[in-house]
Amino acid sequence: MMTPAVDLDFRPEVPAFDANAALGRRHDRRVAVDDAAGLLAEMDRAGVERALVYAPHAAAFDSAEGNAGLLEAIGDESRLMPQFVCNPTFDDLDETAAQIEAADVRAVRMVPTLHHYPFRSWVVGEWLEWLSARGIPLWLPASYETNWHDGADLDPHAVHETVRQFPDLTVVLCEVHYVQASWAPPLLRSLPNLSIEVSRYVIADGIARLIEDVDPGRVMFGSRFPEQAIAPQLYHLHRLGLNETDLRAVCGGNLARLLRM
Amino acid sequence: MDTPVIDFHSHAGSWGRYGVDADCDLYLKVMDAAGVDRTCINCIWFGDARRGNDLVMEYVNRAPDRFIGVAFATPHYPEESVKELERAVHGLGMAYVKIYPDYFGRPNDDPAYFPIYEWVDEQEMAVMCHATYPFDPPGTTIQGRFTALSDRFPNVRWVMAHTAGTLDADAAETARVLPNVFMETCSSRTALGATEFNVEHAGEDKVLYGSDMALMDARQQIAKVVTADIPRRAKEKILGLNAMRLLRLDGPAKGGAA
Repeated sequence: MMTPAVDLDFRPEVPAFDANAALGRRHDRRVAVDDAAGLLAEMDRAGVERALVYAPHAAAFDSAEGNAGLLEAIGDESRLMPQFVCNPTFDDLDETAAQIEAADVRAVRMVPTLHHYPFRSWVVGEWLEWLSARGIPLWLPASYETNWHDGADLDPHAVHETVRQFPDLTVVLCEVHYVQASWAPPLLRSLPNLSIEVSRYVIADGIARLIEDVDPGRVMFGSRFPEQAIAPQLYHLHRLGLNETDLRAVCGGNLARLLRM
Repeated sequence: MDTPVIDFHSHAGSWGRYGVDADCDLYLKVMDAAGVDRTCINCIWFGDARRGNDLVMEYVNRAPDRFIGVAFATPHYPEESVKELERAVHGLGMAYVKIYPDYFGRPNDDPAYFPIYEWVDEQEMAVMCHATYPFDPPGTTIQGRFTALSDRFPNVRWVMAHTAGTLDADAAETARVLPNVFMETCSSRTALGATEFNVEHAGEDKVLYGSDMALMDARQQIAKVVTADIPRRAKEKILGLNAMRLLRLDGPAKGGAA
C-alpha cells in the first residue's frame, strides 16, 4: 500500500481491533484512563473500532471479582470484548467455565509470572484442555509488572513443552519486549498454534521479520492501553509495507478470527 | 510534511543479544519507511571509543546525506577521551557528543566527565546522555543535576535521552527552566500522553525526536510524535526543526546535507 512518508493526519486504512487493552482502575497507580468512556474516546481518536479488554484487578488480586467488574464496566458497549483472567492454581474450573459461557467470553488470559506458578500441564493442563475443546484462545503475557511485583519473564521452555501438548489450542504471546526477542521468534517457529501480540515489540524491523518468519496470520496489533497510547503501534504497522490483505489481518482480522467474530 | 525529519538518537553496530545487526541497508530502509531524512548516529558498544567512532563513519560515508555522525567519549580512558573527541569532531566532522555513564558506574555529573565537558564547552556543542541512573545518590533531582552542570559548563547544550518518552515532571521542568537543556523522545514504552505532557510542560521547542535505532524501530518511535494530540507546528519542531536549530544545521528544507 502506498503511504506518504510522514503522515501527520494518520488514520488507519483498515479496520483495527486492539488485542491488548486493560479496563478499570489499578491498585498500584492511577492510570490516565480507567473507564469505558475514556477508552472509547481514545479508540475513536486512534481510529480503532474494537478492543479486547481485561481487568487489571483480575490479574493483580482476584480473577472472579475483577472479571465481574470488567463486565460491569463494559456494560452494553459492543465495541469492547471482555477477556477473563484465570488463575488455574486457585480458581475453580467449573465455576469459571460457567461464568465464561454465561458472558460469552471469547478469550482468556493467564498470568503465571504474577500468580507464581509454573506453566506446566500438571498445573494448567485441565484448563488448557477445556479451552481447547471450547475453541477459546489463551493470552500469555511475557511479563507483567506492578510497582510492588518484579516483572519476571515467562518461562519459554515451560510454554514450549506445555503448549505443544495442546495443538488445537491457540495461545497468544503478548507484551513481548525486546529483551524477550531472543526467544520469542524461535518459540513461534516451533509452535504453530502460537501467535503474538506486538504492543511492546519495538525492535527495529522486528515485526516485519516476525511476519516473514511465522506468517501474517499469527501476528496481531495490540496497544497495551492505558499504559501505552493506542495509535503509535498502529501507525508503525502501516509503515511495514504490507499488502492490504496482510495489513487487514494483522490490524484486526486475525483477532476477529480467533474470537469467532 | 515539508519540514525536515531528523532522528536525534540512534546507534550503529551489532548488538547480538537483541538481534541488532550492523546493517546499513536495513537502517536506510527503515529510515525511508519512517520518513526520516537524517539520523544522528553514534556507537557506544566499544570500550575503544575510536573503534566505535570509526564504525559510525562507515555509515556516514555510505550515505553522507542521511547520517550525521555523533562522537562517543568514555572516561574509562581519560588519557584518550579528549584526543579522540578532537579527532572525531574536527577530523571526522561529527556533530555532537554522546556519553553513556551507565557503563562507567557513575552519573553524568561525576567529575570524571568534566574534562570532556570542558572540551565540549569550548566547542559550544551538545552532549546527550541519560538524565538519571540506577546508582544515583538518594535525593538526586534532574533539575539540580542539570542546573549545576549548566552553571559550570554554560556553552554545552544538554540533551536528556529518553526523558520525553516518559511523564517525568522533574525532567520537563528542567527543560523548561534551563535554556540549554532539551528532552528526547525514544523509549521502549509508548507511554500514554508522554509527548503531550512534555510539550505542555517543557515546551514544543525543547523536545527532540529520537528512535534508538537499531534497538527500536524508527517507524514505531516516530509514531508517538506523529499521532500525538499536539499542534502540527509542534510536531514539525519535534520531528526536525528543533534538531536543526540545536545542531546549527542550515541545509535545504528537506533531505540533503547541511
